[in-house]
Amino acid sequence: MPNISFRVKKKYHLYGGASLTFLVVLLCLLSYVYMPHGPNDMNLALRFTSPGENPGYILGTDYFGRDIFSRIIYGSRSVLLVCCLAVALGSVAGTLLGAAAAIVKGPLSAVIMRSIDGLMAFPGILLAMMMVAAVGKGQQGAIVAIAIFMVPPFARLVYSLILDSENSLFIKAAKSYGVTRSRLLRKHYLPLLLPRLITQFTACIGAAIMIETSLSFLGLGVQPPHASWGLMLNEARQHFLQYPYLAVVPGLAIALAVLGFNLLGDGLNDLLMRRRS
Amino acid sequence: MKKRLAALFLVLVMLGTVAGCARTGTQTGTTSDILKVAYPTDPQGLDPQRTAAVATFNITGNIFEGLLAVTPDWQVTPRLAESYTISPDGMEITFILKKGVKFHNGREMTAQDVKYSFERLKGEGSPKAADYKNINKIDVVDNYTIKFGTASRDVELAKAFCYPWAVIVPAEAADNLKTNPVGTGAYKYVEWIPQQQVILTRFDDYHGEKAKIKDIGLVLIPDATSQLAALQVGDVQITEVTGNQIKLLKDNPKFQVYTEPMNATQLLALNLENKALSDLRVRRAIAKAINKDDIIATVVWGYGDKVGSHLPVNYPDYVDTNSVAPYDPEGARQLLAEAGYGQGLTLKLALPKNYQIHVDTGQIIADQLSKVGITANIEIMEWGQWLSDVYTAKKYDMTVVALSGRLDSRYFLKRYRSDSKDFVSLITGDVDQLLDQAGTETDPAKRKEIFKQIQFILAEKLPAVYIQTPHKLFGMAANVQGFRIYPIDIYEYKDVSFKK
Amino acid sequence: MLNYIYKRTSHALQVLFVVSIITFAVLLWIPGDAAQLMLGADATPERLEALRTALGLDRPWYLQYWEWLKGFVHLDLGQSYLFGQNVSTLIAQRLPVTLSIAVFSMLLAAVVALILGSLAAIKKNTAIDYFSTIVMQIGSSVPSFWIGMIFIVYFGIRWQWFPVAGYVPPQEGLLPYLNSIALPSIVLAIGEVGMLLRTVRTSMLDAINQEFMDMARVKGLSSFSIYFKYALRSAMIAPLNVMGLQFAKLIGGTVVVESVFALPGIGRLILVAVEQRDVFLLQGLVMFVTTLVILIALLVDIAVMFINPRIRVEMQGE
Repeated sequence: MPNISFRVKKKYHLYGGASLTFLVVLLCLLSYVYMPHGPNDMNLALRFTSPGENPGYILGTDYFGRDIFSRIIYGSRSVLLVCCLAVALGSVAGTLLGAAAAIVKGPLSAVIMRSIDGLMAFPGILLAMMMVAAVGKGQQGAIVAIAIFMVPPFARLVYSLILDSENSLFIKAAKSYGVTRSRLLRKHYLPLLLPRLITQFTACIGAAIMIETSLSFLGLGVQPPHASWGLMLNEARQHFLQYPYLAVVPGLAIALAVLGFNLLGDGLNDLLMRRRS
Repeated sequence: MKKRLAALFLVLVMLGTVAGCARTGTQTGTTSDILKVAYPTDPQGLDPQRTAAVATFNITGNIFEGLLAVTPDWQVTPRLAESYTISPDGMEITFILKKGVKFHNGREMTAQDVKYSFERLKGEGSPKAADYKNINKIDVVDNYTIKFGTASRDVELAKAFCYPWAVIVPAEAADNLKTNPVGTGAYKYVEWIPQQQVILTRFDDYHGEKAKIKDIGLVLIPDATSQLAALQVGDVQITEVTGNQIKLLKDNPKFQVYTEPMNATQLLALNLENKALSDLRVRRAIAKAINKDDIIATVVWGYGDKVGSHLPVNYPDYVDTNSVAPYDPEGARQLLAEAGYGQGLTLKLALPKNYQIHVDTGQIIADQLSKVGITANIEIMEWGQWLSDVYTAKKYDMTVVALSGRLDSRYFLKRYRSDSKDFVSLITGDVDQLLDQAGTETDPAKRKEIFKQIQFILAEKLPAVYIQTPHKLFGMAANVQGFRIYPIDIYEYKDVSFKK
Repeated sequence: MLNYIYKRTSHALQVLFVVSIITFAVLLWIPGDAAQLMLGADATPERLEALRTALGLDRPWYLQYWEWLKGFVHLDLGQSYLFGQNVSTLIAQRLPVTLSIAVFSMLLAAVVALILGSLAAIKKNTAIDYFSTIVMQIGSSVPSFWIGMIFIVYFGIRWQWFPVAGYVPPQEGLLPYLNSIALPSIVLAIGEVGMLLRTVRTSMLDAINQEFMDMARVKGLSSFSIYFKYALRSAMIAPLNVMGLQFAKLIGGTVVVESVFALPGIGRLILVAVEQRDVFLLQGLVMFVTTLVILIALLVDIAVMFINPRIRVEMQGE
């Protein structure tokens, strides 16, 4: 019987994760349609309005009298767009590298995989900071930094999956029938890789959000006056002793977004893997 | 099993509580032989002649001394010199040195050391060398007499000997001053652990009145919240505070607050080589669009004085020019339309990241400019990048920064000569003649008049929009006395003591 | 077995070589100029040129790389322009801080993960299991800098249990030392605990379902000794492996935590080096930290090999 409840729990992951993720996507879409105030509009007379004090500013205002709710809505963009783009770039590069290494074999393969090992050896935030130092701060820097960090997991995954499957019977069989390379890739490798890649992608976004917000918090990511959740926490640092509410909402937003993508990753993993087996 | 686990948890909780209680135990009050001061940024080495960093001068002002010194009230007084005389033609200055001045390594200071130090200041690797180009002769007359000659007349020559980089260093220690400073000051260096602390201790062979407190511990605390917390729990006795935090200290008898205008001007520099900004109407529009009162109320919580020109409010030559270009957004829009930018104008605004006050000011300015139709794209830079891109290469449209710490008006204003090549300058040449006159004019009243004219011209021609003289704000334990702010970037601790 | 150690070590050395190339290449691109930073605003072009020559910044990149690599092997990482001190000295000053919070947070996380993870496995699908799942999810999704800020407000300032900033070395007293690293260690441990908890739970479940457990039960041993003497021992290997891997993440985490708590550790030095573009310092730090991480992973691998005979056999078969 424990097995059933286990499955229920996993479904719970899937639904919980999906709804939190949906919420972030919704915020991001909302930022293009409607925000109560401009996210960078200052109202110096109303600064440090606490939440609920003024019905026009439901989550209060910050140091410059900017509307925190609007900035939270706007900040979802940098979380979603920066992270999705970065992970997408990283996954494409990683997949190609991994596939190349698995297919060509020989010394080139060894060079690729050693480089991947080298990249993997850096602690994540350290690699990201180093990239930022070279590329420059801001969104581009963050995207490059996160994308590079995301290359190794995808490369390794694809590399090992392809090597494993080469020994599997149905690939061997297909090869012996003289199936063309492209058909082999489309009909056999892709269905094999896709579920794993999707799961990996979702799980990596959670990690990417953590790095993006950390960089912003350290002042190396999105630059003022633009809003991002990590940057909002950074700006709150100067004042949160007197105005603790400044730190509450951005922190919660980050935690829920990461939680959402992590749960979704878990849930998808369970769903897709189970279906395969 | 459950019992054992419960016991384990209990032990953990108890450990936490013990640790918590110990905290209250260590919070003893101040003892009278160590003063702890918080500082926000690390010095760039401790060699005052090999850096341009204010954070270095703040510390080395206690370890090194110059021939002359300046008091908090702007008076020039002898320090390592007994006295000085200026020749009738104003081209030579002769110092009689104090006898029996010892370096921290025990050796006595002589005129040879003075000569060596100024050659070092003028030499390779010294950022301030250009300021001393005018001094072209250094003659040691005897062990205690030294004579400096200049290429052209400088009425305020004596003030050049007061700065925190015009100090006397011993040749034998010169190579390692960055990490092991040796000077003649009232405190000698004990230890510097970067990002952690600097420790100084009283120099018992000091030539003047000895320091009152034995040890100075400078503790690095980077952010304002932690600095205030450290003061409140007694970890430090002096710290800079923000305008907002002052409210928390003012009514508490355990603390005192000390504020004074800085010798600095915060300004929005405008690059006159930009096509739009070369138009006086655009510059005036920008000045009219900026509400300085709002900036001061927000960024420094009111602890700043609005200015209309380059000299700070506490400067002896200061005149009030605030009425020249007052806040008037409607007028700004009109001027922009006249200049042909009624449709809008986009400019870049470079802000130096390390200075929160300038970054905040810049963000407010961008917001205020957007209301008259100017889009200011903010670019926040590291200090190093700011120095190379903005200050040196002049690749910028607008930037917010503060210029600080000079003792005579001509030095402070000479960047406005059309040939200064400075990042903020008046390339139209409106003040060139006046600056030349000021260099040779000896009558104080006439000098004052010249500087008054220059200030008004700057307020009208607006090579920069002058914003404010920010104040220095310090929170201190109630029993600290004798701590003062100087017009140059030093804090001297030798006169600080604890009330009994 | 020696063969395995040799293989593993030579792999680590190769990775280290790649790491050195990546580090050097990336930092070669850094815009801005060390010479300009050192001389400040008033520098003239001639002075800049002279200093560049003195620092070797005008030489071709491969010569610079070779010099740098030679220096690294001899533990000479060059000089920080920012502080005017040797990079190795700076690292040595900060290492105790970073290692302290890294080790303490690892210990804390391990203790909590071990207790909660074993309980969750033993009492599968009960309240304890769900509770540990929640701890796991929260621990891996709440950003450490946010927890740090909240801790500072409550534990540091409201209740004043712990200092909010700074580090006290153990020579100045054990309790003040523990106090100064308590909050950062706890914050870091919260981020660590999730992954460890998951591993402990899984491997404990595996262990419980193994045959020797049934044997033990048949022999009538008390449930305490069954779980904690036998099951836990065999369930230790996977978490140990994870701890080795987690170390890299932990070191990365110290950057953020040290910045929040104003601790003078390696992490904050890295931040300053990035912000101020102190290239020599950053190169040295990145190399040092990554070497440390690789070294620890290597040692853990070898240690696990000694503990676990199964791996030993597998490796020989490979």
